[in-house]
Amino acid sequence: MRSFAYVVPDSVAGAVDALAAAEPGTKILAGGTTLYDLMKLGVEAPPAVIDIHRLAELTEISTGEGELSFGAGAKMAEVADHPVVRRDYPALSESLWRAASQQLRNMATVGGNLLQRTRCGYFRGGAEFGCNKRDPGSGCAALEGLDRTHALLGASDACIATYPGDWAVALIAFDAELDVVGPRGERTLPLGDLHVEPGDNPVLEHTLAADELILRIRVPATPAGRGSTYHKIRDRESYAFALTSAAAAVTLDAQGTVTDCRIGLGGVATRPWRATAAERSLLGEQLTMGTARHAGEVAFADARPVRTGAFRVELGIRTVTDALLTAGKQAAR
Amino acid sequence: MKTPDLGRVDAHEKVTGTASYGADRVPDDLAYAMFAVATIGKGRTVSIDTAAAEAVPGVRLVLTRFDEDELRGPGFLMGGGFAFQSLQPLLSDVVAYRGQPIALIVADTLVAATEAADLVRARYEIEPFAVGIDDEGATSVLQEEALPWFPDVKVGDAETAYAASPVQIDETYLHPAQHQVPMELISSVVQWKGDRLVVHESTQNAGALRHGVAAQLNLDPADVDVISPYIGGGFGSRNALQPHIGPLALAARRLRRPVKLVIPRRQTFHTGSFRPVSRHRIRLGADPSGRLLAALHDADHQTSRHDLYPAMYTEITSRLYAVPNFGGRQRLVQTDVQTPGFMRAPNEGPASFAFESAVDVLAYATGQDPVELRLANDTATDPVTGLPFSSRHLAQCLTRGAERFGWQKRDPRPGSMRAADGSLVGLGVAVGAHPVLVAPAVARMSAGADGRVTVGVDGHEMGQGIRSAIALLVAQDLGVPVQDVVVRVGDTRVAPQHLTAGAWGTATALPAVHKALRELRKRLGAGDTGTVEVAAAVRATGHGSPEVEVTSVGPGQPPEMLDRSRAGLFSAAGPVFPDFTAFSWAAHFVEVRIEATTRRIRVPRALCVADCGRVASPVTAASQVRGGVIWGISEALRESSEVDPRFGGFLNTTLEEYPVAVNADIAEIDFDFIDEPDLLLSEVGVKGLGELTMIGVAAAVANAVFHATGQRQNRLPIRIEDVM
Repeated sequence: MRSFAYVVPDSVAGAVDALAAAEPGTKILAGGTTLYDLMKLGVEAPPAVIDIHRLAELTEISTGEGELSFGAGAKMAEVADHPVVRRDYPALSESLWRAASQQLRNMATVGGNLLQRTRCGYFRGGAEFGCNKRDPGSGCAALEGLDRTHALLGASDACIATYPGDWAVALIAFDAELDVVGPRGERTLPLGDLHVEPGDNPVLEHTLAADELILRIRVPATPAGRGSTYHKIRDRESYAFALTSAAAAVTLDAQGTVTDCRIGLGGVATRPWRATAAERSLLGEQLTMGTARHAGEVAFADARPVRTGAFRVELGIRTVTDALLTAGKQAAR
Repeated sequence: MKTPDLGRVDAHEKVTGTASYGADRVPDDLAYAMFAVATIGKGRTVSIDTAAAEAVPGVRLVLTRFDEDELRGPGFLMGGGFAFQSLQPLLSDVVAYRGQPIALIVADTLVAATEAADLVRARYEIEPFAVGIDDEGATSVLQEEALPWFPDVKVGDAETAYAASPVQIDETYLHPAQHQVPMELISSVVQWKGDRLVVHESTQNAGALRHGVAAQLNLDPADVDVISPYIGGGFGSRNALQPHIGPLALAARRLRRPVKLVIPRRQTFHTGSFRPVSRHRIRLGADPSGRLLAALHDADHQTSRHDLYPAMYTEITSRLYAVPNFGGRQRLVQTDVQTPGFMRAPNEGPASFAFESAVDVLAYATGQDPVELRLANDTATDPVTGLPFSSRHLAQCLTRGAERFGWQKRDPRPGSMRAADGSLVGLGVAVGAHPVLVAPAVARMSAGADGRVTVGVDGHEMGQGIRSAIALLVAQDLGVPVQDVVVRVGDTRVAPQHLTAGAWGTATALPAVHKALRELRKRLGAGDTGTVEVAAAVRATGHGSPEVEVTSVGPGQPPEMLDRSRAGLFSAAGPVFPDFTAFSWAAHFVEVRIEATTRRIRVPRALCVADCGRVASPVTAASQVRGGVIWGISEALRESSEVDPRFGGFLNTTLEEYPVAVNADIAEIDFDFIDEPDLLLSEVGVKGLGELTMIGVAAAVANAVFHATGQRQNRLPIRIEDVM
């Protein structure tokens, strides 16, 4: 780990100023659960970090007036345990509960979590392993390596690293938006526009400018929230990243016909993945084992299996199937 | 008399954080060390550039090479030496495996040492390497030829008897490499006090550390103290001298400062031992009723290039049943890794997974109930030596366990049982055995005018509860409160501190303590039994603090074994003693549930019924069972050290990526003890428990998965993709 400057602004405006004045490569520090880890591994070596974790103005949570709003600095544990979120948007709450461990959720923020970096062993392993994301042009050791948990969707010849998060997968299903701030003022972008696929430049993971800071995450109110779940399949029951996961939300009419459907996929793609074709396949249908399974198959129609993790295509289909059926039960409650 | 149900004597210290582990010490003027490690699979260092590391403020030393006069090779534990491997890094330009230390940095702060270690740059000459046992370049030797003192077990003519058997089972099993990953990292604080070297390290083998580092540095062992009162998890990873201590001691001497090293988690996957990959071909010949006529066990077992770490799989598989013909053949496969070693149930875990899975196949092939088949093949005699077992209540473990578990409700047809939520239900059984070994021990006991009794003895407290077992024995014998008993273990200043491992710790220490109690009673003028008023008796002697010292050896062990123990050398004996063979035994029952769609495998309940002789400390014994069963579940369903053959070494070197079982993976663990003292073995009647409790769990899980799905599982860990 290298020495770095440590800046503690006393307001969001101060943080924006500090960021604008900072050396290239400066990082925002919130919970620190990913950044410190990567700094210790030598994957990140920022010249300076700007610590925003004490900024109370970033921690507000509100649940009224047609939308949910989560300050970027709110802790994962707080949002997971929020009574309105638990009742009306179980998928959001569950995606947080099923991430990391209680200790990490107590530290990590909902804004920082969106930008969690991949767990690819070659990305984290050190300079001896080729990784285009860490060291552009050095190749991708995962392509011919231990790829059991690598991406089935959205990968490129340059990078097959999986986006590791759960929260963004649930958010993307609910059309969440981000308010961000920078020297040019505030702007809003759909969460779906935050992350990018690796293409031939895996270093670029998101569309925030270097001088921008996430202020809050907003989720438009929707009745589909109540009929939702986040289903996560992993190698152990807790404290593990997803082999496959699915955020599913449905609205059913009085006849049980699906009138709204949202599906996000996690653990299988290079970014939080919205399965829009799968969603459409269910609209106007009864939700049954057969239609749910069909939606799962549509969701993975374009999957490119990795060598040692090909089973995750079928597992992903089944995960979507189970998630939709659970969401349907939630919707009917 | 049954032992009363008392808690851990050191629970309060542990819970309140006052128990001081090896690297908890922060002496004045402490310096901090860190290794830089090799980033190639094998080869030589052509040059090592340390300029940037040396330029980091606060860095005091960067060492890349020691002279062979100042640092000698430590010798391999299983080859008459002291260390987990013979290879001592920093003595030559050889890089034998990825992750081998190539430089030692010592600095004023941990941050500086860490930063400097990252800045060490080496140029290498890379050589081809092989890490997997089937990789090109891996070479193999037959163990009985290379290590004749670790012969394969052979009884009768197994090949012929197998060929003539009406029922033949032939299955091959693969067990992955695994790492011990104890919570406490490998760490030391090394300090010179004049010419005296004091090593604070959480070790299971303070004696080998003392004599090993003395031999490496050409010191008188009497001038080395090793202090290890607590261990935050050993599991075999701390059973020998580690290659960091010699360099650390030399650095401390040069700097005239105490030095601390805490090896980071990622490095521990390459700086210490691990459970090697093993492959087991099991052939069972039986008559149509399932009575065994022959068994053959061929094992391929990973070792390093520089050491032949022996396999001893057939030691238990030849003893589980009345098998008249047994053929063992163990092959050592040399690969480019650090030397593997003893990880909890090192031989017995993989061996029982393979053998007990094959026995389940035999039960199905002959239409026998798996419990009944095992009972029908029971034996009171050791089939290998013809000697009686000192005690064997395995049949009782099986019958008691079957009743307690509800085995009779099991429908034997695979895939026939379902839970209300649609999950497949499987019930599996397997047995386990662990050899009873006993080492020589020295015990010192003194009584004070305040009524307190202090006992110092060979043994190390790894969390297994040896301190509690000793305190209980003394308290019960003398009729004194347990809090008036002071126990000192893991300290070379009070006893030689032979290796505590192989589940022999309690069985070794307690007989010595028992003997010391007899002597102390004499000194106090007390009878051989009955309550002693210690304070009054001490005053009556007219001495301040009467002290006795006794020694003990295992049954039939010559007293010279004590000299070996005092020299820091391995000196445990067993399981074959002059008049009997001694094993502890267990039966494991496991229920698995497999989700109908996404196929997650869960273990809602497990039962272990153990014959470990007398239960010396009920609370810590129960804890041992829970820990062992959890280890078995983790072995069966979770843990695997992953290798990318292009790079060598291990890739999943964190607690996030190396998936040990977590709390949420564990549900009900039930247990029962036979609790019959083994009085042939010792007056105390204790056998061994710590490793036994995981032996057979993996096979019981695999057999339960078969029962649930109809698919056999011949490779661990069993994961979702194996049951899709």
